Amino acid sequence: MLAFAVALLVCVLGYLAMAVPASWFPSASRVGFAASDLAMSRGTAAVEGTEFVVTATDDAGMALVVVNANLRSIDYPVIEWLARDVPADAEVRVIWRTDYAPAKTSSAPAEVAYGRVLPVDLSRHPDWMGRVTGLGLAIRAPLAQPIRIRGAEAKPMGAAGVLAERFREWTAFEGWSGSSINTLSGGSDVQELPLPALLFAAVALASLALAGVARWRPRWYEASPAWTFAGLFVLAWFVLDARWVANLARQVPLTAGQYAGKDWRERHLAAEDGPLFAFVERARGVLPAPPARIFVLADAHYLRGRAAYHLYPYNVYYEPYRNATPPADRLVPGDWIFVYQRRGVQYDRAQQMLRWDGGVTVPAELKLVDKGGALFRVK
Amino acid sequence: MDVIVLLIGLSLTWVLGAMLVALLVAPGPALAAGRGAWIAGTGGYVGAFLVTLWMRALSALHVPFGIASIALPLLVVLGALTFVVWRRSSTRLGAAWSSAWAALLGAGLPRWQRFAWLALLAWLALRFGLLFAEVWLRPVYPWDAWIQWATKSRVWYEMRSLVPFARPEAWFAANGAYFYDASPDYPATVPLLQTWASILLGRWDDALMNVVWWGLGVSFVLAAYGALRGFGLAPLPALTGAWLVGSLPLGGVHIALAGYADLPMASYYALAAVATLRWLEHRSAGNAVVALLLLVACPTIKTPGIVWVLTIAPAIAVALLPRYGMRTLVTLLVATAIALAVLAQTNPIVLGYRLHLDFDPAWAALFESFFMLGNWNLLWYAVIVVAVVGRRQWLSPALLPMTAIVGAGLAFLFFVFGFTNARAWVADQTTINRATLHLAPLIGLWAVLVFTAWATRSPAAAPTPPATAAEPA
Repeated sequence: MLAFAVALLVCVLGYLAMAVPASWFPSASRVGFAASDLAMSRGTAAVEGTEFVVTATDDAGMALVVVNANLRSIDYPVIEWLARDVPADAEVRVIWRTDYAPAKTSSAPAEVAYGRVLPVDLSRHPDWMGRVTGLGLAIRAPLAQPIRIRGAEAKPMGAAGVLAERFREWTAFEGWSGSSINTLSGGSDVQELPLPALLFAAVALASLALAGVARWRPRWYEASPAWTFAGLFVLAWFVLDARWVANLARQVPLTAGQYAGKDWRERHLAAEDGPLFAFVERARGVLPAPPARIFVLADAHYLRGRAAYHLYPYNVYYEPYRNATPPADRLVPGDWIFVYQRRGVQYDRAQQMLRWDGGVTVPAELKLVDKGGALFRVK
Repeated sequence: MDVIVLLIGLSLTWVLGAMLVALLVAPGPALAAGRGAWIAGTGGYVGAFLVTLWMRALSALHVPFGIASIALPLLVVLGALTFVVWRRSSTRLGAAWSSAWAALLGAGLPRWQRFAWLALLAWLALRFGLLFAEVWLRPVYPWDAWIQWATKSRVWYEMRSLVPFARPEAWFAANGAYFYDASPDYPATVPLLQTWASILLGRWDDALMNVVWWGLGVSFVLAAYGALRGFGLAPLPALTGAWLVGSLPLGGVHIALAGYADLPMASYYALAAVATLRWLEHRSAGNAVVALLLLVACPTIKTPGIVWVLTIAPAIAVALLPRYGMRTLVTLLVATAIALAVLAQTNPIVLGYRLHLDFDPAWAALFESFFMLGNWNLLWYAVIVVAVVGRRQWLSPALLPMTAIVGAGLAFLFFVFGFTNARAWVADQTTINRATLHLAPLIGLWAVLVFTAWATRSPAAAPTPPATAAEPA
């Protein structure tokens, strides 16, 4: 155990030697900029709660977020923009101005991972000198969805700061998401030093050291190197498992808060697609008994699939992987068409005619309409 | 009341399978060398598969699904099995229960081992308690679960029959006789398990029906413990090994967010492999039947189950032809290399995968997924260490059959993600982990066994406490 602790310490110190950009023990403390401090220089954005939401770029495809600052560059080698939902193919740069060259705007590229902008180490950048008077984030990308920015942080990144960052990454809550079933990050989405790698390095180092002692100084350490490795490996595994179990223990109350004490219907109404489920329930009140044929249309494949799922055991048809309408010539009177948040579908009430992509028309009777949804019966 | 019926019904399925396995595996003391745990754990899987077979038969006979039509005949079979097992057993029921309880409490272990034993059990209980809460509360959540699996169970539950799902052309032509979802050709076992749970509940509830996944998770840890004990590990190392393979993070996610077929695929495959190895060791007809049942189940869970079953063939070849074991393996490797070379010149499509050779693995994404992210804890580090230090052990006659299975499984994964268009799923971290999950529990068991073999053979090894009747089973 002691050997493992020492090995872990050695690994951590080795990492810090590479990761700490400037002083190990800086005197400055972190400086944060909130969303309300930010302004838009190019593009369109608005403050929503604690987030600065960038909704559009300018005509040149550029969004530029800026904030006034007053920092000694030597105290703050790392700048982090707390942004999410940044497109993976976005060209992102951190920009700044200093009192050393007030007319010059400097910049450095920033990497994007899992929709987030990674911290940028500017300690060796030739233009990072003097007092920083302004910071900015330039994003060049087509925006399929808004970019959300909680603010920015200027970090001294001493040894304690780096360790605190890593610890925060390892222990960050990883709630269930659509990708959880495929992959787990094991903490925050982006991790500078993955915990499994660190722990295994410590296990390997400690095992090798103890094996060496057992080989050349058998009186000092008599235990089997193999079982030493096994014990340390199990210990490291337990640390990772404890992290996973602790994360699950944080998830369960959230799940309970959302679903506990509710019956099956209430749970679905409380789920992410509750409004869709509610509309499907209304549609059930209009539909005949199953298994009538129902064609589902929605722009988002998530909503198409969810609508179909909620409509079973009706005989549902939908396009799981593309946003397409059903072949009109295959529809027969008595079929039903369920439309939810689908652009390009029009209904002529006087003619009782449904029209969709390509000018295709289908004689149909409107049976139900609500916010974003409608139900038709083919005539 | 409906929840109680659900739990009783699922327990019935479990006990039915356990009784059948108890009848089939070699007679002996219930708790000897993990026999009881193997029977209980594997029994859960055998029972679950049997109930789906019976539901298929009912549907073919046009008998509607119902508690009476499904459970009553199974109850009769269970009664008969229980009687036969009881008649054959040399242990009295009361004595067996007290032995089982003592074993659970770690009676007979040295003090520190007993402490570790109980701590590990408590830790497992905490893990599965939290998982149970998630499964119990959350309606079907992950994507494929509601576009291709629970779709079928909903229809089959409401229609009380295995009504067919079909691709679009056939669906349109059938004029309402067929149903449709995102993957109408997918096998029926997983949705049938959900259907069975819904029938027990008497209503559609897409949270509670998934308690089956939790049961399979618990069963797997039991079976893994029993398997490791059967392979000669002492109680505490066996429990540690079972915890290691039962605590793979992605496996836990597949219990918590139940509804995918990957965890059942992984656990049925692992147990099928172990059951085959047990048969190869004991050569008893009963073990063969257990192995066969689990092997047959694999392709009925996911289509790639066919390939996973084929990966067990090298083990059989190696074990049945011991004099030519290595030669057989080398021949298989050469044959595989030739097959790959042939595929390089052709462009066939099998199971929806384009098998044209175009070697370009996404190494960076693979490395990140296996070694950096939180999917596998330290599994792949262990596999590398064990493969290096235990190279003599995994080639030994005792472990060569299992090594052959693991090697074939790894080759299959490497082939799919290295040579086919499936590599795109490595780069975006989607299917790579779920496909790897199919092999992960088995490779975890293999790593534990190879490491133990290496550690106990090294000169300075601490001796593994031999299994005795006084130790936990």
